[in-house]
Amino acid sequence: MFGAGAMTNSIEEIRDSELMFVIGSNTTEAHPIIAMEMKRARQRGAKLIVADPRKIWLADMADLHLQLKPGTDVWLLSAMANVIIAEGLHDREFIEANTDGFDAMAEKVADYTPEKAEEVTGVPADDIRIAARLYATTKHAGIYYTLGITEHTHGTDNVYCLANLVLMTGHLGVRSAGMNPLRGQNNVQGANDAGATPIFYPGYQSVTDSKVREKFENAWGVPLSPDNGLNLNVMMKEMAVGNLKAVYVMGEDIVISEPNVTKVEEGLNRCEFVVCQEIFHNETTRFADVILPGACFAEKDGVFTNSDRRVQRVRKSVNPPGEAREDWKILCDVARSAGYPMPEYEDAGEVFSEYASLTPKIAGISHERLEESISGLQWPCPDETHPGTPTLHIDGPMIGRAPFQAVDYRPSAELPDNDYPLVLSTGRTLYHYNSATQTRRDAGPVAKQRNNFIEMHRSDARKLELKHGENVRVMSRRGEVEAEVWVSPRMRPGCIWMPMHFSESRANLLTNDAGDQVTGTGEYKVCAVRVEKMSNSKTVG
Amino acid sequence: MNYPNQKRVETFSIEINGQSCRAISGETVVDVARREGIEIPTLCHDTRLEPAGACRVCLVEVEGQRRLQPGCAWKVQPDMKVTTESTRIEKHRTILYSMYMSDHQLDESGLPVETGNGNQLRELCKTIDPLPLEPVNAPRAGRPEDVNPYIEFNPELCILCARCTRYCDEVEAVNAITLSNRGGETTIATAGNRGLLDTTCELCGGCIATCPTGALIEKKAPTNLVTLETEVTRSTCNFCGVGCQLDLHVHNDRVVKVTSPEPGETVNDGNLCVKGRFAYDFIHHEDRITTPLIRGADGELRPASWEEALEATANGLMAVKARHGADSLGFISSSRCTGEENYLMQKLSRAVFGTNNIHQCAAT
Amino acid sequence: MQKPNANREKIIELLEHAGGVTEDSVREVHEQTGIPEADIWGTGLFYTLLREPGQRIRLCDGLTCQMFGADSLAMELTEAGKAVERVSCLGQCDLAPASLDEAMELVTYAKHKTAISPPNELAMNLAGEVDLTYSALKKVKEMSPEDVIAALESSGLQGRGGAGFPAHFKWTSLRQQAETERYVICNADEAEPGTFKDRELILRQAHKMLEGLAIAAHVIEAKEIYIYIRGEYTNEYRAIERALEDSKAALQEFEFTIVKGHGAYICGEETALLESLEGKRGMPRLKPPYPTESGFRGKPSLIHNVETIACVPSIIHRGGDWFRSLGKTEAGSKLYCISGHVVAPGVYELPLGVSLDELVAAAGGYVGNPIAFSPGGASSGFLPIAERGLPLDYKHLADAGSMLGSAGVVVINDTVDMAKAAAWQLEFFERESCGQCAPCRIGTQYIRRQVDQFIQLGDPVTLAMTADVGWEMEEGSICGLGMVAAKPLESARKHFPDAFKTRD
Repeated sequence: MFGAGAMTNSIEEIRDSELMFVIGSNTTEAHPIIAMEMKRARQRGAKLIVADPRKIWLADMADLHLQLKPGTDVWLLSAMANVIIAEGLHDREFIEANTDGFDAMAEKVADYTPEKAEEVTGVPADDIRIAARLYATTKHAGIYYTLGITEHTHGTDNVYCLANLVLMTGHLGVRSAGMNPLRGQNNVQGANDAGATPIFYPGYQSVTDSKVREKFENAWGVPLSPDNGLNLNVMMKEMAVGNLKAVYVMGEDIVISEPNVTKVEEGLNRCEFVVCQEIFHNETTRFADVILPGACFAEKDGVFTNSDRRVQRVRKSVNPPGEAREDWKILCDVARSAGYPMPEYEDAGEVFSEYASLTPKIAGISHERLEESISGLQWPCPDETHPGTPTLHIDGPMIGRAPFQAVDYRPSAELPDNDYPLVLSTGRTLYHYNSATQTRRDAGPVAKQRNNFIEMHRSDARKLELKHGENVRVMSRRGEVEAEVWVSPRMRPGCIWMPMHFSESRANLLTNDAGDQVTGTGEYKVCAVRVEKMSNSKTVG
Repeated sequence: MNYPNQKRVETFSIEINGQSCRAISGETVVDVARREGIEIPTLCHDTRLEPAGACRVCLVEVEGQRRLQPGCAWKVQPDMKVTTESTRIEKHRTILYSMYMSDHQLDESGLPVETGNGNQLRELCKTIDPLPLEPVNAPRAGRPEDVNPYIEFNPELCILCARCTRYCDEVEAVNAITLSNRGGETTIATAGNRGLLDTTCELCGGCIATCPTGALIEKKAPTNLVTLETEVTRSTCNFCGVGCQLDLHVHNDRVVKVTSPEPGETVNDGNLCVKGRFAYDFIHHEDRITTPLIRGADGELRPASWEEALEATANGLMAVKARHGADSLGFISSSRCTGEENYLMQKLSRAVFGTNNIHQCAAT
Repeated sequence: MQKPNANREKIIELLEHAGGVTEDSVREVHEQTGIPEADIWGTGLFYTLLREPGQRIRLCDGLTCQMFGADSLAMELTEAGKAVERVSCLGQCDLAPASLDEAMELVTYAKHKTAISPPNELAMNLAGEVDLTYSALKKVKEMSPEDVIAALESSGLQGRGGAGFPAHFKWTSLRQQAETERYVICNADEAEPGTFKDRELILRQAHKMLEGLAIAAHVIEAKEIYIYIRGEYTNEYRAIERALEDSKAALQEFEFTIVKGHGAYICGEETALLESLEGKRGMPRLKPPYPTESGFRGKPSLIHNVETIACVPSIIHRGGDWFRSLGKTEAGSKLYCISGHVVAPGVYELPLGVSLDELVAAAGGYVGNPIAFSPGGASSGFLPIAERGLPLDYKHLADAGSMLGSAGVVVINDTVDMAKAAAWQLEFFERESCGQCAPCRIGTQYIRRQVDQFIQLGDPVTLAMTADVGWEMEEGSICGLGMVAAKPLESARKHFPDAFKTRD
């Protein structure tokens, strides 16, 4: 957004906020240290608005909690836009100078009145008004969001709606403001930056742009495909129908992390060849023809790029176990075995230099420079004298014009019905990480959360005659898993929540693999399920 | 409402030990002194916390004030004059440190015990010729029954500076621990003296990191950490997208402890979460894959040499490409791996095998 | 970090209703208020009256009660099968020894009753008729705030709680604050050993206090008035409730709240009192900021001792000059508490600056052969009887290395071992130290321990370091408690060196 999917502002600016609008982000669990900055801002008097179907910890600390129904974000956000425009709180000067398409968007949101939004979202119309006014009239007001926004079939629409709010209020190029996606993993930003995406070379340079392609062909000495590749969601589907015949999976447990994993397993079974490059055996390695033992972060050199575009060093501190090797070395060796003359890189720093030389956004960054800068360098950093960019668009007017998007609400792909009456959302907890191959090997996380669970509102538990701690079967059209019930005041009635971490009880056996049209991201946050008491249920805990 | 960004910032000069120093309104004497390289000892001070002024170690003379005043809390005023070294202050420090020693576990050399987590009191006590005070044997209760796997509290080394409880309240904001009781019985407690696992504690370990005396220590770290030779490597955490900086303490090719850089240095400002600080056992776990593996005709995985495995990988991919075309291959990279590795993975996909089918779980 | 809707101020009261600190009561209060359990636990355990649930007799071990056999009484009660807890001074020194029974009702063991001055023309006139007209308040409403403060200034009224700070400064400062949310707070947490004047004032002339508070609130434009009274003053709490009931009409524009303390002497320190009012551990705050700028809920607050504020109506009625002229060496009349070895212990209102001899004459004379006195509570240490002619006022006592404090005078005769007298006072400070700062927390423990050893072993070497530790306590402590906590020993050694020589 406004360039690339990354925080427009820096993490350390959060502490000086006057208002934080946190939507679809359980920050204290998924980004605990960013949450500390939010707490610090709160302590200093900043206001906090939280929009989340769950009464998460931050909601307890909030001035206003908008407890919307899962998947109705477009309604909520459009209604906020509606209020801002209707009450004349938008920043006309900024809109005029920096944006296009305001009128079309304004016309669209005119239909999204707070009263109608209340019917769809369940959020009181007055709360929507208060939130909209507070956001529009506060200068240092930042939006913070995570996967609660993006993991929908209309995830891109959600993001557009947020961007509309930012643009119409001119909350861009201002400290402690902006639009801030908190990236879920240590280097999801860096992986995208480096071109691990089907439509971009490193640095968001389009693979369909012939000039760009020529640059890379010259650098790499081979002709390159002019066609966009398949995103992960589509790859999984193509694999299931037999069109994708071989996969090389590095450091990812797709049989846990992808939605509707039954289909993923079918696909892997159909593949002619599967390579896994991993540090632990996991659900995906069960399908591997070859397993290459890689190195964990403590065993190799390189860089991670965090949510605020900060490139920081990873440094080798111990050797990989046994014959395991640094992953960058393995990749070079595979290339050479396939006959490609991969350069003889001395170290990871040389790989980075090649990458930076082809990528204007980070051209000024090198391992040498990172030795000097104790808190990393934030891109854009176009040359060696550039100090990096903590806040995007902060010096004067924006480069280029940003478009408003007129967005129509589309319901989630699968809604509850008589057979599957509950809405399931999935996510992460504080104590585990992704497929939990790392965290389930440590005593603390295990002591805190040993087994899979669902959170459920007491009214639903009462209806189903379930007690806290009881084991249940959770079923969707795609699969079923067992879990403990945690009767939780955090939930909305009609909604349940389950973490994604447990390999013996995979949440993604249940989730829907319908993907967002643009990004292909799966709809992890909404699918229809049914919960059943186990016939011979025993009460635990 | 407080608008931190709109506060008027005034600068003026103050005098410390006769030296003129630039100061900014809102700063404390310790803030200015530290910037100017003037050492004022502190124990209960942490830049992330509201000043408590409780340890009394930082008392200084402020012109016009009859009493000594805590430098960590005393706000600067234009033209104020501060003295940080005098016979009065020296006497104060000597007696105060001696009193702390009478309420502290000492080692054979008579100094406060070092537990491997740093004991700043010990360092301060080295600067004085202590008075021979008999121990007071304060009746501070601990929590010996606490079975949590990470955090241990030794009341004999606690100076009640309340950094841990204030951190738990003001920074981590989970309020799992508290000052409890009163006077000599004052201690660090949980509700009902329950183990930390049965409280709101999120096991972030920030209490350990902020403890100035090592009264809070890591249960995981080796008990002989004091004498162990370790090398420290700065790196970036491999869990979520915040990018916390870590210091990995390594002994004998093993990570034995993880700490955060000092507050103010890096993006995490001295903080870590339970995963970053404690969840490092996986690095040296016996379940790690330590050799290349190839699935044989029998369907079982068997160990293989790197040469074999690399050849199998390249041949397998090239064969599929030959049969079905480049776009029948998919490369799934990892947002857990480094930038360099992601660069190489997409280069492998594009330059070596000729397909743009390269992705990772971009949205997660 | 507190949640936006959490109610911390209520937790101490709720814990009391729940019967004190237990895991269950803490959970219950957490659910009622949203305050984290640990904070409730830690706060509750600060307060003696909440600490150990269960019924028992609370027997005073203050200086005077000790002089009158509290220890042997404790033994008798225990032998009779009663559960007995020894507690700090209960403010009944004139009726020593004293206790609270299982229902927190007062039981005293003295044969006599409290003596008070006969009806007089002085400011308090404890025995005088109760005036329910609230005419001073009416008069103030006709005056400008400046004139009221000018009257205060000319009266020379100084804080009667111990610090002796001129009252009008605080009122002026309050009126200068930009913040308009302001509070008036009455400090009725009378707990200094030897002191019980506020007790009698509340029991006999509570309306003077209430009227004074109303006048203050009117002048500084505050609406809410808090009266913080020690939890052991059960009768006095009821007396205030009754007085408020009787003056409803006159005080209807003000919102009065009575808040009970729960057994923590330190909460008489004004910033500790504020913390306690806010539902926290009663640990004194760093000053500045002073309560006049940032007090209760961070808002400007006017805090006065009961006696100070009760002087205000008479000053309004009869003028500042009249009040000033009541004093002998300093302005005004003063309530002196006298207990110990005198004929008629009680509360006497006398011109400020009378001598011990004059005070004791009013109280019927000495009993036995007096050797020492403590002029202003435990904090003032001891003076030798040779100082019997010294004016008991702020300045003269300060010059003599002591203080008027709360004017809780205790006379000690030659039946008392001065080392023991010092030890009793030290034990009080050790028990009542809040524990926040090291000089006080460690110092009070250290010094008490060394004096105990001296009494046991008779070897003065045990006291070799106490002067140095005492120096640091005075220099380094956060609040007044730590600053004076070594005083009893220091003054006893200075004036009664024989009591600290080698013993067999």
